[in-house]
Amino acid sequence: MPRARLGREPRSMTAIEVRDLCKRYGGTRAVDGVSFTVAAGETFGVIGHNGAGKTTTVECLVGLRRPDSGTVRVLGEDPARRRRVLAQRIGVQLQESELPGRLKVAEALKLYASFYESPDDWRAVLERWGLAPIRNKSFGDLSGGQKQRLQLALALVGAPEVVVLDELTTGLDPIARRETWRLIGDLKASGTTVVLVSHYMDEAEALCDRMAVFGAGRIAALGSPRELVERTGTGSLEEAYFALAEVAR
Amino acid sequence: MKALTQLSMAEIRLLARDPGTLFFMIAFPLMLLILHTGSDGIGRLLPGYVAMILAIGGLSALPGIVATYRERKVLRRLATTPVAPVTLLAAQVGAQIVMGAVGAVIVVGAGVLGYGVELPAQPAVLAAAFLLCASMVCALGFVIAALAPRARVAELFGLLIMFPMIFLSGAAVPREGLPEGLRAIGGYLPLTQAVTALDGGWSGSPAGLPLLVMAGITVAGTAAAAVLFRWE
Repeated sequence: MPRARLGREPRSMTAIEVRDLCKRYGGTRAVDGVSFTVAAGETFGVIGHNGAGKTTTVECLVGLRRPDSGTVRVLGEDPARRRRVLAQRIGVQLQESELPGRLKVAEALKLYASFYESPDDWRAVLERWGLAPIRNKSFGDLSGGQKQRLQLALALVGAPEVVVLDELTTGLDPIARRETWRLIGDLKASGTTVVLVSHYMDEAEALCDRMAVFGAGRIAALGSPRELVERTGTGSLEEAYFALAEVAR
Repeated sequence: MKALTQLSMAEIRLLARDPGTLFFMIAFPLMLLILHTGSDGIGRLLPGYVAMILAIGGLSALPGIVATYRERKVLRRLATTPVAPVTLLAAQVGAQIVMGAVGAVIVVGAGVLGYGVELPAQPAVLAAAFLLCASMVCALGFVIAALAPRARVAELFGLLIMFPMIFLSGAAVPREGLPEGLRAIGGYLPLTQAVTALDGGWSGSPAGLPLLVMAGITVAGTAAAAVLFRWE
């Protein structure tokens, strides 16, 4: 099958294609036959409880893990083989990843900008993400919300076409979460493809065009938040999620 | 190359912000020098102090830094950028060489200006010995980081290996003053080769063998670290 050359005409194209993805750890099937596609410019939710296979799936997307079987294509490339080439075009925010404690905010942005061939101006990113007032603060002295905002800015400073955000708002207070949502909204509006891993239904509902509900390493349901509510005959996405996750267990 | 330069500069800044590093790589050698005020042969101490500074950085600071980067997923985060995580490890070596050079220039400067020590007879040999010593202690530091399961353990291993090494190799105190048995142990330590090589470059009686041994240990240590190192 011919591979689409992406990036030239990002609109109306497929940004991510996953087919029959399987990954085991020892005897455990972490991901067991997952398939989905994400259109360029779409915000796609990867939703599910802990251990449902969300993180393993996105780790395969960004080339941190090699699938046991199945195909993964991001912007037409195989992340397991072309990690460093793809990394120029993908921005990633990882669960629980940190920076050196004494590294300052502006230094971190400048440093990460130097990794990319055509990054955004890191000073502009500093302004845009509201990091200018804390530019000389050390990473170790930042609050949870500030750290998260910096991680988000680092994921975007390379001007990526696809952004993968893993549990972006876990541990944030409600105000910081809403603020982060607003920033993701800006990102959507700019046409960037976003993969959002979350276990918060309100977040999925507010941000995602479509979402895959993961359960036990499989996709239990896939559709827009509204479709999932209608399909399950429940009153809210939260209810729909419980109905779907129950079936998947 | 741009990324390596930026990473090295960031690592140098981080080392310079660490009070422990500043004390042990800059103030501590100066303190030792001052304690020897008035004693004969102060010039013979300086090559050892240079080896000591490098050993403190490579054997004890570096493993803790690298293991912390692994534990806090700094390396993992970097693996999602176009930069290979190994670049960060290379930047560690660059930063150790720069910090080591700063510490060495300060203590040597103090010796030359304050105590009238003569300048090194063969600066080129001294520079070669300096670079080989830095490479060797960093390679060994990476082996420590690879073997330690956690950052705290890496820091402890580093101290447990570095301290006996600087005292038995003639780096912190001349080996002639050591009891017979301890002096014999020193003969088998990698840092002893560094002290001999640096001393040779300084006094103008360079020997090739210590340089070769250091190169060999660097290659072996790097190979072992490459096999043993876990990125997460």
